[in-house]
Amino acid sequence: MRYALFRGCFLPVRLPHIEKVSREVLEELDVRLQDVEGFSCCPEPVGFYSNDRLTGTALAARNICLAEEEGHDIITLCNGCTYTLKQVNESLKANPDLRTKVNEILAETDHQFKGTIDVKHFATVLRDDLGFDKVAMKVVAPLTGLKVASHTGCHIVSPPEIMRFDDPFDPVVLDGMVRVLGAEAVDYDLKTLCCGWTLTNYGDKGAANELLGEKLVSMRGAGADCIATICPQCFYQFDTGQALASRKLGLDFRFPSLFYLQLLALAMGHSLDDIGYRRHRVRDPGFESKVKEVVA
Amino acid sequence: MDYLSEDESISMKEASEICLKCGTCCVVRAHFCHVQYDEQFDAKNTYVYNCLGSDEPAENPNIWMCVSCHKCEEICPYEVSPIRFIEAMKSRALELGIAHPMILGEVENILSTGYAFPLTRSSKRQREQLGLDPLVEGAAEDILSIAEKTGLRKKLQRSKEEGA
Repeated sequence: MRYALFRGCFLPVRLPHIEKVSREVLEELDVRLQDVEGFSCCPEPVGFYSNDRLTGTALAARNICLAEEEGHDIITLCNGCTYTLKQVNESLKANPDLRTKVNEILAETDHQFKGTIDVKHFATVLRDDLGFDKVAMKVVAPLTGLKVASHTGCHIVSPPEIMRFDDPFDPVVLDGMVRVLGAEAVDYDLKTLCCGWTLTNYGDKGAANELLGEKLVSMRGAGADCIATICPQCFYQFDTGQALASRKLGLDFRFPSLFYLQLLALAMGHSLDDIGYRRHRVRDPGFESKVKEVVA
Repeated sequence: MDYLSEDESISMKEASEICLKCGTCCVVRAHFCHVQYDEQFDAKNTYVYNCLGSDEPAENPNIWMCVSCHKCEEICPYEVSPIRFIEAMKSRALELGIAHPMILGEVENILSTGYAFPLTRSSKRQREQLGLDPLVEGAAEDILSIAEKTGLRKKLQRSKEEGA
């Protein structure tokens, strides 16, 4: 099982410790990763793709072509990358006129879209290609007793007819992934509310803080020990964003956020140090002791 | 996927006119738009209705806050697609040279380095500490060729002229 690894921009630039643990965990699960020379930004949905669909489509098509030339499906580590690449891949496969137009744009690059591969978020690979039963077999330190609030994010679920990952208004897949690790997935109000990325970057930061505060209180109120995400930007909001929001709002708790593959690494016997937890902005001694207790 | 021609943009405007201000997309707590947290919006002046109020991007400063999550489109009982309207406005803003400075910065970054986010000394140092490969700025020729053919470089030039 080999995939072309599309690591995107945000993870390697801002969160390299998560890139590292993601690579290690996927390889330990026998998901082989092929690095592909020349990948560019997917391009990013909010800042690029939604502003110039044609250029965005052509840039995404070029990335897909590079993976096609390697002969592997793409595995992504980011909801945003999946959103752009999967929409473009499906559109170009379904629409011959658009494919011709994009291939004309790509002509000088010596790449041509052929439609021979699929684009898959790592969560889809774990669920559909590897299977949760095989993931469960690698769990040597079940996270029994750990309560986790899952945040699926927006771009992995919509548009649902293309993403085909989960129900945008009642997501349950990530909860199932949490349970595979032996942890408990807690239900909470505001589960489908966005992490607030665009409010922080393009709008009122005070509103973004308020949003984050309400969401965190809701998770905490449901008894969660930590948050699980499958998108680097969402992770960043819940980690760095929380650190800023907590100061502004005077929140009296610190609520660690983990990328799902970090949680999986813990369940596979790695330590908090191994998964790069020390590089997080928000750490909590209560969470750390609980992890040490359940992983020991 | 849709590429909004001028005619289609007009039909999007017509679609916006059937919005009944029911507030389902922005006020119903179970699935509301996150931008509703901005204090300029309330149950009577929702984020979505505010955006649908003008099809001139220069008069529509809130379009940049849309995260393209599609929830408004999915939940609308009258099949209005606010996201398409908002994205058409963003696209037109780029054509007119009046896109948000952060959008222009990100587009310029991608065209010059291949990455949406600046490669900082901190990220280089962290990668080195973690034993990860250094990030290579590249793909410039291909990316610039694509941007030339689609007309994106002209739009960026227009933005510079507008901003000058």
